[in-house]
Amino acid sequence: MSDWLLVDGARRLLADTCTHEVVQAAESDGWSAVAWEAIAGAGYGSLAELPVSDALAVLAVAGEYAAPVPLADGLLAGWLLGEPVAAPVAVAPANDLRLLDGRLSGRALRVPWGHAVEHVLAVVDGTAVLVGVASAAGVERQVNLAGEPRDSLLFEEAEPEVVHPAACDLLERGALTRVALISGALTGMARLTVAYAAERRQFGRPIAAFQAVQRHLVDITQDASLVAAAADGAARLPGLFEIAAAKVLASSAAVSATRAAHQVHGAMGMTQEYRLHHFTRRLWAWRHEYGDERHWASQLGGAVAAAGAQRLYPAVTSGSELV
Amino acid sequence: MLFAPADLTDAELELQREVREFLAEELPRGTFDPGLGMGAPRDRAFSARLAGRGWLGMALPTRYGGHDRSAVDRFVVTEELLRWGAPVGHHWVADRQTGPIINRFGSEEQKQRFLPPICRGELSFAIGMSEPEAGSDLAAVRTRATPVDGGWVVNGTKVWTSGAHASDWFVVLCRTGDSTEDRHAGLSQLIVDLASDGLTITPIPFLSGHRDFNEVALEDVFVPHELVLGAVGGGWAQNTSELAHERGGPERWLSTYLVLEELVRSRPGLFDGERARLALGDAVARLWGMRRMSLSVARMIDAGEAPSVQSALVKEMATRFEQDLLERIQELIALEPLGEGDSLFERLLFEAVLSAPSFTVRGGTNEILRSVAAKGLGSL
Repeated sequence: MSDWLLVDGARRLLADTCTHEVVQAAESDGWSAVAWEAIAGAGYGSLAELPVSDALAVLAVAGEYAAPVPLADGLLAGWLLGEPVAAPVAVAPANDLRLLDGRLSGRALRVPWGHAVEHVLAVVDGTAVLVGVASAAGVERQVNLAGEPRDSLLFEEAEPEVVHPAACDLLERGALTRVALISGALTGMARLTVAYAAERRQFGRPIAAFQAVQRHLVDITQDASLVAAAADGAARLPGLFEIAAAKVLASSAAVSATRAAHQVHGAMGMTQEYRLHHFTRRLWAWRHEYGDERHWASQLGGAVAAAGAQRLYPAVTSGSELV
Repeated sequence: MLFAPADLTDAELELQREVREFLAEELPRGTFDPGLGMGAPRDRAFSARLAGRGWLGMALPTRYGGHDRSAVDRFVVTEELLRWGAPVGHHWVADRQTGPIINRFGSEEQKQRFLPPICRGELSFAIGMSEPEAGSDLAAVRTRATPVDGGWVVNGTKVWTSGAHASDWFVVLCRTGDSTEDRHAGLSQLIVDLASDGLTITPIPFLSGHRDFNEVALEDVFVPHELVLGAVGGGWAQNTSELAHERGGPERWLSTYLVLEELVRSRPGLFDGERARLALGDAVARLWGMRRMSLSVARMIDAGEAPSVQSALVKEMATRFEQDLLERIQELIALEPLGEGDSLFERLLFEAVLSAPSFTVRGGTNEILRSVAAKGLGSL
């Protein structure tokens, strides 16, 4: 069980900070100094100092309010280096970098807010390499489906600040951060959608009174609850089994729940002025980051098949303690 | 948060280990015909052996032969029995719902009379809810009990009554008062001996020809006062409480599990292929996640809460999963299931495909469950 005071503090802070206007402005500006200063100033900028389950619980709150800041990356960078890193820092999910005579060359790819953070961390041949963004020879700005920066940074014989054997697996731990973000976003989206259906009236009554609409509300709630249960399980025991299973469920739910939420919202959900897209577009992006549902289902299926039929159910109950 | 995080304690894991050892010794694989979840065969002797271990009536009070244990302990035992395909049919209804409602609503005399033999695995119960004109709409029951000297005389017909032909008693939802504007008033629950005079049990064969369903006709069946369960006129609330015991447990996601396990056992080479790995990985992920939700429901029951919305959410999604899993498996093997198949996998698949439509109907249709859940979401 995570630290309630800590998580509750994060919830109040993010609810106040990440208003619709702030999240919208972050998209057009490519960075939100307002959000970052408020969140880092309150001590939530570097989650790697926290126990894993607490850090992930705060990260879920960041997903719940679509916080346009690299909290997941600070956490992931700290895990990879084995110690907290000064924030803001981003992690390159992919790269074609090489380390030659202590100098770093090549590109760090799809770096969250790459142009705006101070450092970027990349894993090169099993080594975690931390380098200043100021030492990049070029920055190519790109965005993901949510309009969040996913930049490519070019390095030409740059001098890294830290070189350390990676303390954990980038793909597994990256997926773990996305599970927490997706879980939070599903929670926020479910709340928004249930409330909208109770308020929006058509044919003289709230649309939540229609069974066809109720079905969508139930689907979204089931998805959000299933992923919350999975995120909790993976936070308690972050082994390959739990992370794979949780990302399968999170990425699948990102598809089904967003479809249902948009259907409930009708045309309103397609507008920039209404908040739904802050959730749905992030969910579509996070679904793919650090392995989609198919990638992890294949990993998980291969692992449990190799363990054999006799251990199949024990694996369902005990996860990576067994498989 | 609808579902609070839940894990098993060390003591609960020890219980899980004990049940696994018991099953490996009592019912070694290959020595019995495993069944599909709660549809598994009846075996009075096996139920008695379970009772001997203290695994029936677990959450009932010790003074009535129970064991004062938790809903989570019962979850652990039930989960292992079902995933093993153990023959739970004889005690299933009595252990899951009749025992708990008699304990909750019954008289002292009823508790002393019925609970000890339920806990010993002796008495078997059926469920007398559905009628020709009252399926999902249970308040429409027409079976009527009329007061007479010393008790009630019951007339009416119950249908789709699983296991009535092999059970000792059933709890009948019937009308004891006039239906006013409030359709839920005037209903009562009676504990009725299935060997009563005037009671006729006729099989209603399943679509597969298998016998489980029955029609139970009651013609001037006398039921003494002391067998009215709870309050006269309190039947609707009691019945709703009983249905809550029917929902959200491991039986809602384990009906087809054994088909998957036997596929892995009998065709390991299949999983060298990507499609089979994807299907297996997805199924295992869902089993793992839904199990955590279901365990959370059991924890809520132990905390004295009434998780009816959560139970409805779990049952609705889990029973769809049970059906989806069969489709995934059939896509993988690309063969028509045949009844004369000689492997356990083929037999289980054949039976599962033929019973699958019932998963999303029995114990409350998914349409009713969605309605229950959606109404609850507004107030949560």
